Amino acid sequence: MVKTRPVVGIPPVTKVKASSALKRQRRSYLMMLLPALLLVIGIMIPFLQGVARSFTNEKGYVPNPTFIGFDNYISLFTNSTFLTGLGVTILYVVLILAIQLPLALAIALLLEKASPVRRIGRNFIVLPLLIPPIVAGLMWKTMMQPSAGVLNYLMELVGIPGSTWLTDPATALISVVLIDTWAFTSFSALIILAGLQALPESLREAASIDGAGWWSTFRHIALPWLAPYIVLVALFRVADSLKQFDLIWPVTRGGPLNSTRLLHVQGYEEAFRFSSPAMAMAIIFVLWLIIYLSSFLLLRLWRRTINAVE
Amino acid sequence: MGKNITVVAAIAVATLLMGACSSGEVIDPAEGNPGADLRAGEAYDPRAFEGESINMLLIEHPFVNSLRPLIPDFEAATGITVNLEVLNEQQGFDKLQADLSAGVGNYDLFMTDPLHNWQYSAAGWIEPLDGYVENDAITMPDYNIDDFAPGVLDAGRWNRELLTGLGEGSLWALPVNFESYNLTYRPSMFEDAGVEVPTTYEDVLDVTESLATSLSGNNYPIVTRFDKYWDLTYLTFGSMAESYGVNLLNDDGEVDIASDASVEVTDLFIDIIKAGSPQDASAFTWYEVLQGMASGRFALALNEADLFAATYENDAESEIADDVGYALIPEGPEKRAASAWIWQLSMAQASADKGAAWTFLQWLTSADVLMQTHLAGNMNPVRLSAWEDPELAALVDTWGSEPGQYREVLEGTAEIAAINYPPHPELTRALDRWAEAVQQSFFDGNTKANLESAASDIERILLP
Repeated sequence: MVKTRPVVGIPPVTKVKASSALKRQRRSYLMMLLPALLLVIGIMIPFLQGVARSFTNEKGYVPNPTFIGFDNYISLFTNSTFLTGLGVTILYVVLILAIQLPLALAIALLLEKASPVRRIGRNFIVLPLLIPPIVAGLMWKTMMQPSAGVLNYLMELVGIPGSTWLTDPATALISVVLIDTWAFTSFSALIILAGLQALPESLREAASIDGAGWWSTFRHIALPWLAPYIVLVALFRVADSLKQFDLIWPVTRGGPLNSTRLLHVQGYEEAFRFSSPAMAMAIIFVLWLIIYLSSFLLLRLWRRTINAVE
Repeated sequence: MGKNITVVAAIAVATLLMGACSSGEVIDPAEGNPGADLRAGEAYDPRAFEGESINMLLIEHPFVNSLRPLIPDFEAATGITVNLEVLNEQQGFDKLQADLSAGVGNYDLFMTDPLHNWQYSAAGWIEPLDGYVENDAITMPDYNIDDFAPGVLDAGRWNRELLTGLGEGSLWALPVNFESYNLTYRPSMFEDAGVEVPTTYEDVLDVTESLATSLSGNNYPIVTRFDKYWDLTYLTFGSMAESYGVNLLNDDGEVDIASDASVEVTDLFIDIIKAGSPQDASAFTWYEVLQGMASGRFALALNEADLFAATYENDAESEIADDVGYALIPEGPEKRAASAWIWQLSMAQASADKGAAWTFLQWLTSADVLMQTHLAGNMNPVRLSAWEDPELAALVDTWGSEPGQYREVLEGTAEIAAINYPPHPELTRALDRWAEAVQQSFFDGNTKANLESAASDIERILLP
């Protein structure tokens, strides 16, 4: 009898537990419903409306826009200005990654080691992040003026010929990339620095006992450990660079010629200079697809690097 | 006074609107007569809209500085509060476009121009003003619309028929100043270099080359705007192209910017800039021109706005107030040509306080108030009566390297100044594309190919 009581008593207890778990689950679903609805209303509906507009001939002076299928997209991919913008956008992202990732890694390594520059450097590195990109852009635009800017003045003082910087199509894109590098590399460096600080000391000690030098430790221990952090930085920088606007617009407005006219700048111009929201949405939708695809691939790579570390 | 009457006559015929081919397409012929019934049957009362508040978007311009001190008088007289927002030209137009296209009516009134108003009126974003002007219940009794120079006022009219109909149909804006283009030069630098003021564009190149050998340091022979935007092809380079017989559209309505004459004038323009401008000339906007010339760095401003004289002559804002002269825009092989630019004020269709907005608009464009702005540097006057004012005449007579020089140049310019382009909502896009081709030729030298490519694109934009 003593033994059976608990046996008899178990099923009701389990039922109560299951019932309350179900209730809790339902409640949590209900609690998620409101944010989900807000998400749908606030993001998905405008997004889908925007995509729908890209299939019309809507312009400021067209009284009754009509559905025109893929005409806007066909027009884009047969338009040299758009294709140039697409190429410039991709080149911009490649240059950003090629310059900023190694630089951010180097800064992180410098700030990780105990040295006199570490404390000062850690305080100064966040300063560019505190300056709005528009202000940073205008500041550098002034400094990069070929005939009256301080950069050329300083370069000529030490015997280096001045550059045309933002005023020549040959140098404008790299000049904007340099401004971007000044503004955003510290963000990347801080993430990589956080990764370096999370590296278990025991791994370094083990490598040291095995006689590994700095390079060998970095190459075989730190770098694999940092891989997920570096990919994460790449993910952020790719997405941010693809939709870069607030740094370019005040500095070059996409010029000279189309040398810095990224797709986001083109989309803005279509919408707000030429009153062509349909074409603007077509450009922005193509840009969104590129960002989505590149982010998807980088996320997969990120998961793979995490698995490798584990 | 005889001299002043000459100016009046010149301005009266100024900016006569050029004929153009017609596409025959009317965007939306249906339009009401807003403002006509506002306070219908009542007597005019300046305080009729007391307690209301209006927002106005202004573009950085000497007009704005001349207006600010007058606002308190208006607010005291009407009980209407006026909030001003001032932005530079590019930011201002971008922000305005966003506001108008969204239909939110944040700005009741704003500074504009015929080129932009062709977009705004075609889209139905701005209010036709005829009903307001004709309504005695809301328009002050002594408001004289016939006092505006007819050509200048009519630049605010358009019947919304693509590529034609300028000066016809509804009145979309009221003018506040008018500018055309001239040569502004530094007599001392010209004397030192032993050169005369150029009269043709070939002369400009010769003079630039001579000045280049005599100037040193941070001083340069020539400055003109050269950014890749519509104002290059609409105004400054546009004036030069017109004098070479180059038009955006020819008499048959075809895009005509890749002709031999167009290649010739583009190459000459580029040669002039390369001979005497700084490395960053390709990024110069009108603002860099104004600041650069006023700072004393340049010997000659080519085809730039004549109303910059108000700044150049003001020794608080300029280093060249006692060393500046003016000359007529150079002559081309076909003729002497000068574009016209008119700053206007328009009312947003989405404005929630149209009565108050109109009260301010008519007050600001009345003869007395405009006269006060002109005396404070808002040039050039658009009302005929302003040119008869002795105080203004005395002020303008001091401008230039000799008495009466500015006025004499203005008289000559006013006789030829014109809007040389047909109205179209996408004209800014077309002119941007042409400007891009001119700038591209500066960098790669392939003028003919660049202009042909631009012509092809412009054909798709304007003549689909």
